[in-house]
Amino acid sequence: MADYKEAYLATRPKTLDPAEYFNLSPDYRRTEEERAALRSRLKRHYLVQLNNPHRKELIEDPALTRWTYARTSNIYPNFRPTPKTSLLGGLFGVVPLFVLYFVFKTDRDKREDKIKAGNYERPYKLSS
Amino acid sequence: MLKVLIPTIMLFPTIWLSSPKWLWTATTAHSLLIALVSLAWLKWTSETGWAASNMYLATDPLSTPLLVLTCWLLPLMILASQNHITPEPISRQRLNITLLASLQTFLIMAFGATEMIMFYIMFEATLIPTLIIITRWGNQTERLNAGTYFLFYTLAGSLPLLVALLLLQQSTGTLSMLILQYSQPLTLQSWGHKIWWAGCLIAFLVKMPLYGVHLWLPKAHVEAPVAGSMVLAAVLLKLGGYGMMRMMVMLDPLSKELAYPFIILALWGIIMTGSICLRQTDLKSLIAYSSVSHMGLVAGGILVQTPWGFTGAIILMIAHGLVSSALFCLANTAYERTHSRTMILARGLQMIFPLTAVWWFVANLANLALPPLPNLMGELMIITTMFNWSPWTITLTGTGTLITAGYSLYLFLMSQRGPAPSHIMGLSPFHTREHLLMVMHLVPVLLLITKPELMWGWCH
Repeated sequence: MADYKEAYLATRPKTLDPAEYFNLSPDYRRTEEERAALRSRLKRHYLVQLNNPHRKELIEDPALTRWTYARTSNIYPNFRPTPKTSLLGGLFGVVPLFVLYFVFKTDRDKREDKIKAGNYERPYKLSS
Repeated sequence: MLKVLIPTIMLFPTIWLSSPKWLWTATTAHSLLIALVSLAWLKWTSETGWAASNMYLATDPLSTPLLVLTCWLLPLMILASQNHITPEPISRQRLNITLLASLQTFLIMAFGATEMIMFYIMFEATLIPTLIIITRWGNQTERLNAGTYFLFYTLAGSLPLLVALLLLQQSTGTLSMLILQYSQPLTLQSWGHKIWWAGCLIAFLVKMPLYGVHLWLPKAHVEAPVAGSMVLAAVLLKLGGYGMMRMMVMLDPLSKELAYPFIILALWGIIMTGSICLRQTDLKSLIAYSSVSHMGLVAGGILVQTPWGFTGAIILMIAHGLVSSALFCLANTAYERTHSRTMILARGLQMIFPLTAVWWFVANLANLALPPLPNLMGELMIITTMFNWSPWTITLTGTGTLITAGYSLYLFLMSQRGPAPSHIMGLSPFHTREHLLMVMHLVPVLLLITKPELMWGWCH
């Protein structure tokens, strides 16, 4: 903190203004400095890659890589059967199959009975 | 039949004896000539159902569109894999094209087979080149897992089929499709017969894939290189549909009652896989799940066993084969430029690649079944026949159509519109080869609007 000098004609960012840190503990100030150093190192790494005239490929974003990995390949190890997941799985994966079987079977059986009794009138002229 | 099969077998000397400078040109030209010769099959001159060159290989209006699609796809696969295979050593390049050509040979013999056992052997034989392509030339470590899932799902489904076919041979004395179509309906009442019925169909339902056993498909499609994805989406899924259509002839009258669970799985699968598509971040994964959704519709259309169902199934299979393969090629062009399949990374491509945006647009419109494209015609026939089967299916198929439109537009908007990422620099311009690839995929789809009789099958 003591050896930070802002650039010529630039203003000091708010996070490094000593007036803001008047009532904060030295511990807090040190952690904030470390975080600022980390951020500026990452940003410098990104800008070096961005402005490299010989770069031909994409700049890799590790956060994006972690996010896509978590969304596509890391699902099952983190799955745990809980009441909520079991309910959702049953509601969307198991129950509809039985409901649909019941609906289709009764509908088609009713039609089959009407055909066998001889009084089924076809509502549409479908060659099927 | 032989005028296509022998040139396909002669592709192997072409591959191994061409000089390295001419390898890709020679094989692409050779396979394109085979494709053009195969178009002669479309002229249906025979009065009987089958145009048979000998007792074991024949074509009929069901297998002809699929055969022409297979032959058409080989030059496209070779064109698509040219970019990422060329840096490898020459013998590995030759090996890659050899695997594609051997896959082609097995597929031609499978679709042209008249004996069910020959169809079965070729059905199994197509697994091996595909497995080698996925596990050898895939890009991520998950490809081994993907290959395992692909192989064992299909094998586990098809072993009961072998037993069922041998039992059928025992009881009817023949397995030739030419003869079986005229055989007496089998009396099937006992539980053993019901298990036999299931054994006949499970292999094809796993291959289609049906919703409950579809887990191998997203893995295999995503991890495969572009040629593998193309042939998987375009042809190998249709092997399942074709097999089902051939087997259904002999499986009455049990199918009336036993088909309910599979029809319900297929219909519910349309909605579930369509909804999963809306939540995908991986480009190829989205296209893979959309394949499952469309094939669910095909499976439903085949299982209700009506003429319109079969016709709609064939039309949708051909149209989906071409369009899905086109989408995988487009996804591969994005992958080759950014080396990532994440959708939010390759955004805003319309400003950077305007002509390719046209191909993305047409392919996505075809995927969402825009009239008058044959995708819609097939879907409409299947939806109509399912409505006739039971009017309540319209809720599922209608919602499925809505969700299909939703995720197709989502795919288009995510990849083409929006802000381009500011740090993408090395997006090389599109090669003529890639534009040619897209034209060769999409122009047949547009031309098939004008003559759908080529695809209708033997029901009309």
